[in-house]
Amino acid sequence: MVQAQTPIRSVQKETSVTLSYLGFLRRAAGVATDGKWHFYVWMILLTAIALVGANAWAQQVRDGMILTNMSDHVSWGLYIANFTFCVGLAAGGVMMVIPAYLYDDEEMHQVVIIGEAVAIAAILMATLSVVVDLGRPDRFWHLIPGIGKFNWPLSMLTWDILVLNGYLLINLHIVGYLLYMRYLGKKPNPKWYIPFVFLSILWAISIHTITAFLYCGLGGRPFWNTALLAPRFLASAFVSGPAFIIISMRVMRLTTNFHFSPKPANTLIQIIRVAMCANLLMLFSEIFTLFYSGGSHAASAQYLFFGSHGANGLVPWIWTAMFLNIVGAILFFTPAVLRRGNIRIIACLFCIVGIWIEKGMGLIIPGFIPSTLHEIVEYSPSLIEWKVTAGIWAFGLLVLTVILKLIASVFTDQFPSEASPNQSTLSKENAASAIPAEATS
Amino acid sequence: MSDSQVQLPIIDQPQSNRRGFMKTVGATLGLAAWAAAMKPLLELTEDVNADEFLQNHYRELTAEQKAVVFKRLEEDAKKEYNADVTISDPAPIENVQFGYALNLSVCIGCRKCAEACHIENNHDRASNNSYIRVFEMEMGGIDFEKGNATYDHPVPAPGKYYMPVQCQQCENAPCVTACPIEATWKEPDGIVVVDYNWCIGCRYCEAACPYHARRFNWEKPEIPAEEVNPNQSYLSNRIRPQGVMEKCTFCLHRTREGRLPACLEACPTGARVFGNLLDPDSEIRWVIENKRTFVLKEELGTKPRFFYYFD
Amino acid sequence: MKVSAGKTLFTVGLIAISALAAQIYANVEKNVDVETPVRLNQADLFPVNLNAPKLLSHVSTGQIDSDGNPIQLSCQSCHSVRVPDPKNGSQGPLLSFHQDLDFVHGKLVCISCHNPEGSFSNFRLASGQSVEPENLMELCAQCHGPQFRDYQHGSHGGMTGYWDLTKGPRQRNHCIDCHDPHQPAFPQFRPAAGPKDRFPPHHEKGTHE
Repeated sequence: MVQAQTPIRSVQKETSVTLSYLGFLRRAAGVATDGKWHFYVWMILLTAIALVGANAWAQQVRDGMILTNMSDHVSWGLYIANFTFCVGLAAGGVMMVIPAYLYDDEEMHQVVIIGEAVAIAAILMATLSVVVDLGRPDRFWHLIPGIGKFNWPLSMLTWDILVLNGYLLINLHIVGYLLYMRYLGKKPNPKWYIPFVFLSILWAISIHTITAFLYCGLGGRPFWNTALLAPRFLASAFVSGPAFIIISMRVMRLTTNFHFSPKPANTLIQIIRVAMCANLLMLFSEIFTLFYSGGSHAASAQYLFFGSHGANGLVPWIWTAMFLNIVGAILFFTPAVLRRGNIRIIACLFCIVGIWIEKGMGLIIPGFIPSTLHEIVEYSPSLIEWKVTAGIWAFGLLVLTVILKLIASVFTDQFPSEASPNQSTLSKENAASAIPAEATS
Repeated sequence: MSDSQVQLPIIDQPQSNRRGFMKTVGATLGLAAWAAAMKPLLELTEDVNADEFLQNHYRELTAEQKAVVFKRLEEDAKKEYNADVTISDPAPIENVQFGYALNLSVCIGCRKCAEACHIENNHDRASNNSYIRVFEMEMGGIDFEKGNATYDHPVPAPGKYYMPVQCQQCENAPCVTACPIEATWKEPDGIVVVDYNWCIGCRYCEAACPYHARRFNWEKPEIPAEEVNPNQSYLSNRIRPQGVMEKCTFCLHRTREGRLPACLEACPTGARVFGNLLDPDSEIRWVIENKRTFVLKEELGTKPRFFYYFD
Repeated sequence: MKVSAGKTLFTVGLIAISALAAQIYANVEKNVDVETPVRLNQADLFPVNLNAPKLLSHVSTGQIDSDGNPIQLSCQSCHSVRVPDPKNGSQGPLLSFHQDLDFVHGKLVCISCHNPEGSFSNFRLASGQSVEPENLMELCAQCHGPQFRDYQHGSHGGMTGYWDLTKGPRQRNHCIDCHDPHQPAFPQFRPAAGPKDRFPPHHEKGTHE
């Protein structure tokens, strides 16, 4: 982290790309950890929460998963619920790149990199959520293809491991390349990133589809065993991803010089509107099919929405989610209200939290209740599970903060560029005008 | 706005140096806090050994490597449970496919099978774990929603019948397909086994199983030394480590030596029938050919090797 | 757009990967060799042993001799001199002995099974033919044919030992190990302890005990 003070030497043209890129990363580490006091407070807070989570996880590894409230009846809990949401967030972060390229929407290009950054942080959170769910994390190497035993292509989980890691690499490449080119003061060569952007779009759809297949491929769990699961996942990802990006953009606008034109945000809102409607429609048709035909297939839905045999642990959760989703959707459809920045953030938060519950506690847990032999064993996360999950989110936000900070620095030219070191001395006004500054509220 | 503070790191800029120093201090403190947070892991080190960590998959082990592993497991049992055990590795018998049938008209719900399983397979005492869960069902249908596995009153109760459920050793086992690392697989004699030293404990198989047949070791099993069943095998009843899956193996350490499974021997009514599906003279074949048998959740296409029937 | 070549390449790649995956999946389907094992000679097999029925030869008088031992009488002491009542099917009309006997076994009478011709010391079939103790199951099988058939095929009555008789013997219960001939219904009793789940299954109040 001390590399920030490393003196800048004029870089010869013949310096290898690798060395030059490493130098960029070193400087990036310095810049990303510089900031005002509130930046440090934020980072220290996140670090502290991450450490609490790490400690809780270490206890869980030592004493066993008995510290969670999972059981042989409800064998997946908050961790896998959070995993599902994070995969959606990662996919959604990139899928909104589609309009930017497919429709040649130039202004959307600006937020592509933000989406990719959100995707990187979300994939890390998703991966961590799976790691903390393992009973034997020490045997992680058994999962490495070639070294361990990889049950591909039969096990959907192996597909998920492949696509999630591939997705992480693709996005790291895109973000790294775009920032690096900007840092060099060069125009990015489309050959080196456009194919990857397209790949990442397809890949984004694949990660969430395969994550849905993870559940809907299980014939023994009627609540998940529905073809609508993957489309539902995609639709809700199209809400949570853009919503998260809107929040990120606002935070960046408030804390950095990086300014956005209002157009990308408006496009994102359009996407959210359509996706939220599609999500609610699919949720409704799912509910209709289950309840109108009834029978044992409806048992989980009955438990989830209304309680069953006197057990109703998930009822508050799902109705909170329904409330948040519907109010969020209404807010998004009320342009007059949405023009106010704070309301917009609230609408985004409502949708994010609503979908987090709907895809997590409202989808993973009821898959286990009633059990395959129709026993009703309830589940609510233990304190350890909450701590670990909070720690994962803190870590994800830590990573996201660093990347976004880097993006802001590079794109507002406060980051020392090797090609034109003088650029960094640009005045604040000049930097801000690199992108037309336009307050959206 | 942080931007005004983010200065170009120019050589000898004093503020930059101070900031750099502060960052170093921060990073050091951060690392120290990290180490402190992870401290509980250190308490595990005595249980962890490199041989176990590096042990290969059961099916990749040579006979010599197996001998070393089994010896280590026997020593571990002595060290951790103070029990003298022998770990065997009976091979599948050629031309044998195991099948099981259960006569629901005869079963009285006494749970002797579950109890025998508990003892035979070295289950955790505190949870009274067993691979068999006996459901008290209402006469007039096979509706698990009206079933109850925690009944505690004299049996058989009027108007009820009893349905023990354990691993169905499916021919098309969803758990085997689900496992990402081939830690569970189907043996040539039809038994689905778990390599307890390979499983990473992701519990995808437990989610995939339609019969609630799999169990997870949520903590290290507790068994008093004098209650440990010393006749153990690697793939079946040896004491499982914390954090891995386990399941019914039709007592392969017994059945591969020609003996009957523990649950069958414990059954006072003879509701249980076990044998070789390939032997046309076997009892199991007689039951399948002469009784109106059914399997659980036939519509899922799992093709169970466990058959139920009424007289 | 410039990228159309890349897009095409990607689509082709995706199709190729899918085809490959489908191929691998198809190969994974495994075949189980179904071969009928060689029939073994009965003589090579270990035996299936039956629990020997415990039969009464004496009955307690309820009195104690001078040494403090209970006084027992053999069946013949009374039955050699008394005339049996062919219609009696309960302990009620009996004047002495068998007073505590609860008899709940259909409409049978004593002499349905007990042979009066041998002074009640052995048994007889409905045909009147005498039955030796080792063939006692025939007596039960007269009425309980299906159960006897199931028993013969190993699907009724507990057993221990070996499923594979080439490797070891098997021990089987006798009818009367579980069914008292005088009241054959299997008695109710408390089951072994149930699962001690950390989070026990939820049951509606009142619907389950």
